[in-house]
Amino acid sequence: MNFSETLKLALAAIWAHKLRSFLTLLGMIIGVTAFMVVLSLLQGFNTYVDEKIAGIGSNSFTIRRFSFEDFKNTDTIAEAQRRNKELTFDELEFIKERAQTIDKIGAKALPNTAELKRGIEIMQDVTIDGVEPVIGEISNVDIAEGRFFTDAENANAQRVAFIGADVATKLFPFGSPIGEEFTMRGIPYRVIGVQTAKGTVFGQPQDVFVQLPIKTYGSNFGGLTRSRGLYFEATSKSAALFKDAVEEARSLLRIKRKLPAGEKDNFGILTPDAIAGLRDSILGPVFIVILAVPGIALLVGSIVIMNIMLVAVTERTKEIGIRKALGARQADILKQFLLEAGTLAAIGGFTGLILAQLLGYIISAFLIKTIIPWYAAVIAIGVSALVGILAGLYPAWQAARLDPIEALRAD
Amino acid sequence: MRNIWKSYQMGTELLHALQGVSFEVQKGEYLAIIGPSGSGKSTLMNLIGCLDSPSKGQYWINGNLVSAMTDDELAAIRNKEIGFVFQTFNLLARATALHNVELPLIYAGVGAGERHERAQATLASVELGDRVLHRPNELSGGQRQRVAIARALVNHPSILLADEPTGALDTKTSFEIMLLFEKLHAEGNTIILVTHEHDIAERAHRVITIRDGEIEKDERIK
Repeated sequence: MNFSETLKLALAAIWAHKLRSFLTLLGMIIGVTAFMVVLSLLQGFNTYVDEKIAGIGSNSFTIRRFSFEDFKNTDTIAEAQRRNKELTFDELEFIKERAQTIDKIGAKALPNTAELKRGIEIMQDVTIDGVEPVIGEISNVDIAEGRFFTDAENANAQRVAFIGADVATKLFPFGSPIGEEFTMRGIPYRVIGVQTAKGTVFGQPQDVFVQLPIKTYGSNFGGLTRSRGLYFEATSKSAALFKDAVEEARSLLRIKRKLPAGEKDNFGILTPDAIAGLRDSILGPVFIVILAVPGIALLVGSIVIMNIMLVAVTERTKEIGIRKALGARQADILKQFLLEAGTLAAIGGFTGLILAQLLGYIISAFLIKTIIPWYAAVIAIGVSALVGILAGLYPAWQAARLDPIEALRAD
Repeated sequence: MRNIWKSYQMGTELLHALQGVSFEVQKGEYLAIIGPSGSGKSTLMNLIGCLDSPSKGQYWINGNLVSAMTDDELAAIRNKEIGFVFQTFNLLARATALHNVELPLIYAGVGAGERHERAQATLASVELGDRVLHRPNELSGGQRQRVAIARALVNHPSILLADEPTGALDTKTSFEIMLLFEKLHAEGNTIILVTHEHDIAERAHRVITIRDGEIEKDERIK
């Protein structure tokens, strides 16, 4: 008896008990769906972080007052707050003048929030950044309309703003915002550019911000320290020089701060690798947990399948007897029931996959773009079928070794 | 068919269902095996049908020593040499008449095209050519038994082995089925009929009477 004959038989048997097959597969379906959804979320998150890193430019890094390690616990935070001084424009100049491997370096100030007004339109809780014009080049800003700041605008602390797409549509619903004005804390600003819309990530809008030249920000919001403290963004001259650039920035800052050899940095350098590393260290344990949960669902699902196959063998004892009388060998019967169990489970896996894809669309619409990797889809169906076949082994073996005379006598 | 002979004894110390039975059936014979229940005729039928192996003695079909075969070899012999007709038809309820008739060919490894053709032709030969896509529950008892007979014949077996083939049928239908057996015999098929009814057995050409696991009588009546 060949494979396609056996497969037809399996599908007919499953179809003959539609509701029972479905109920049997529920555990399996839930397991696979859960697995796929979480996996697609993770994949989506990873891709998002990778895109962000790529957006910053993989050759870029930031220099901050604190490093990741400083946030380990309250003691290290307290120590870092004592040791680590705020970054200054002096230090920026020091690095800029001496560095050989750094292509561009610029300062940003930590953001505040403010209320925007234009006529009767009011927008609250908008993120306000202060940046040096060179940051536009370093962070590969996507400009939808207008332009980024010039050095002159920064030097003169002109009241010009580069705004997010949501700010543009909210405050300027009709016509282009370029050249138009809005007010913040009673001070008017002129819009010179709008960023391309970025959507939301984890429910966080990416388009509700105003960027000002850093000097404008400093003079109108009150001093570039503490909650408006400085940090630097830099790029290396080439990808090959990236590590050198990071090292050079570190050495120069240590020299400027007169740190003796052996003493640890009193500042932090954040590289894309470090961000990816942090992500992996957070998501690694999550990954193991999410593997365990569907694993248990799959195990339970396989036990249910084994149970239902045992029932099927008992129910169809007569059929097995007839088939044997007509010349079915043990292997034929074994194959029939194994394939039935395998097909049943694969259908469960496939259904789970479809369900996960549908849930994925919903999650993508509200939270983050999810991606089901193709290998995971293949694994889901493959593992399901394999689990089904394993679960079917014992029942199928029971069926195959039935005595034809006994089996024919059954009713 | 040449040279079947078997002697057989149930091996346990307690029960001897068959105690040294020997006979030979020639190709084209129409044989009835008759005996009261408990006589050992079912055991004998299972052995003839290669569903079971004797504990002692030898059984040959067409030069094959069946009594020494493994389960899978027995399955192959059943497929090739034996056509079963059961009292309760034993059709697959979920399958069409056509599919039921195709079953032996599936296990014989016959391809789909040829299989359909042969099953169709065999169904037509038992006058069910217009019922091929009906399921057993859509057919009358007589029609079901004819599907079963078609299934038994489709792989051209050496022996058509019928176990109380009229036991579940009314008198009129039984008569039709017996006529069908006569027709099949006239066409050259070898038929072994196992029954406890004398008037059924008398339609055969040779009758073997089994009692207490032994052959009581072996007579040619036609």
